[in-house]
Amino acid sequence: MLTPAELVWLIAAVSKGDEAAFERLYAATRAKLYGVVLRILRRQDLAEEVIQETYVKVWNSAGQFNPAVSSPITWMAAIARNRAIDVVRKRGESSIEEEPEAMDVAAETPDPLARREMSEELKRLLECVGRLEPDRQKLVLLAYYNGWSREQLATKFATPVNTVKTWLRRSMMEIRECLGLG
Amino acid sequence: MMAYSEDHIALAAEYALGTLDAGERAQVQTMMAVDTGYAALCEAWVLRLSVLNQMVGLVEPRAEVWERIKAAIARPAATPPPLGAEPDIVTLDTEGAAPLASATSAAEEQVAAPAVEPPVAVTRRDDAMPAGNAEVIRLTARVRQWRTVANAMTTLAAVLLAMISVEVYRPDLLPSALRPRAQVAENKPPAAQFVALLQKDSEAPAFILTVDAGAKSFTVRRVGAEPEQGKSYELWLVSDKFQAPRSLGVIGSQDFTTRPGLSFYDADTVNGATYAVSLEPEGGSPTGVATGPIVFSGKLIETVPPADSAH
Repeated sequence: MLTPAELVWLIAAVSKGDEAAFERLYAATRAKLYGVVLRILRRQDLAEEVIQETYVKVWNSAGQFNPAVSSPITWMAAIARNRAIDVVRKRGESSIEEEPEAMDVAAETPDPLARREMSEELKRLLECVGRLEPDRQKLVLLAYYNGWSREQLATKFATPVNTVKTWLRRSMMEIRECLGLG
Repeated sequence: MMAYSEDHIALAAEYALGTLDAGERAQVQTMMAVDTGYAALCEAWVLRLSVLNQMVGLVEPRAEVWERIKAAIARPAATPPPLGAEPDIVTLDTEGAAPLASATSAAEEQVAAPAVEPPVAVTRRDDAMPAGNAEVIRLTARVRQWRTVANAMTTLAAVLLAMISVEVYRPDLLPSALRPRAQVAENKPPAAQFVALLQKDSEAPAFILTVDAGAKSFTVRRVGAEPEQGKSYELWLVSDKFQAPRSLGVIGSQDFTTRPGLSFYDADTVNGATYAVSLEPEGGSPTGVATGPIVFSGKLIETVPPADSAH
């Protein structure tokens, strides 16, 4: 497993067109990114397409990565997830039950990491999420990890969509306040 | 940086969370494209939440995926007209009249030192391996430089927002964010016209770029730019799918220039690109990369085919 410093080094090399470094970067990060997008897209073909687009984007924009702002994996996973969400929102709604069974991806949120494995930023964020009411915590985490829409969340929580919309906004603002962002 | 309303912040946070619908996402992305402060706000939220991904389990993709990625980065996005060797990584320098500089020293000499910030440390492919921290610092400087260029685009905000909100323009001229919601699984949107106002700061547009998505051609109409003696305006397509801007050719001296040059690029690339005009020696850049300053730039707004009822 590569350290963040090694990944930063690889990204720097990639920004100069180093294909060998790019291959190593891919090897070190592909499973994480694929895991992230597969949870959201729940289809191998879509997930593969998003992964391809993500790494092409990483190849072309490696020079934009700012190690002072985030870790390499955080940056890359953000690109991948953002693209996956774009895809899933544009594809429109299908009910949760209609999702193909082929993808045996856990419907609930991932297992917690040992605290010592978490970055400081993650700990802080989880502390803030943890201050929400249990239902809201679930709402936020399902939205994030599974990429569910408001409609899907409304189904899950047996609540009107507008209520979910309000809950989500309030929850994010509470997280924001907890993080001390003003 | 201007302060954003709670609504704006909530929108950014929900954008990062992923719960906005497709139309709202497009709206946020439009706002990000025209307002770098807002783009930074949204990006910060996206990265802030992305730490959650530490907890996601690993899943190995098929080996074939890598083969496709390799092919994608090797392929120069179809076969654009040969403009000389593939340029090295391009750095967009400072704001305003900023040169598009290639990594080669020859081009660096051609680039007039801008009276603004010092030129960025440009990386070269033939450099020795990075020396750890030094490279990271140079990268950081590059990123800052890259971002300050976008400030030149901020001034687009006033114009584009005016287009969105005011009825002065054709009412069916809406950014894609406000289009009627697309059908699920609709893969072929109707051929649309795209318009970009190419301008500098808050001055009136110098060129209006119209893209015919169906014909894959574009037309540049001169509306404000004065012809420069012994110089040519050259149009570039700037996209994060490529490492360097792609020339779309020299803009002719007549009022209208129409070219088919967009057939090399897919719709996504064309839609999402930034179009920039640089001032080159007569006949265009001799090197295949922009050697002169960017004088005008803009992004495309998609015009909507007349809607059935409401917009």
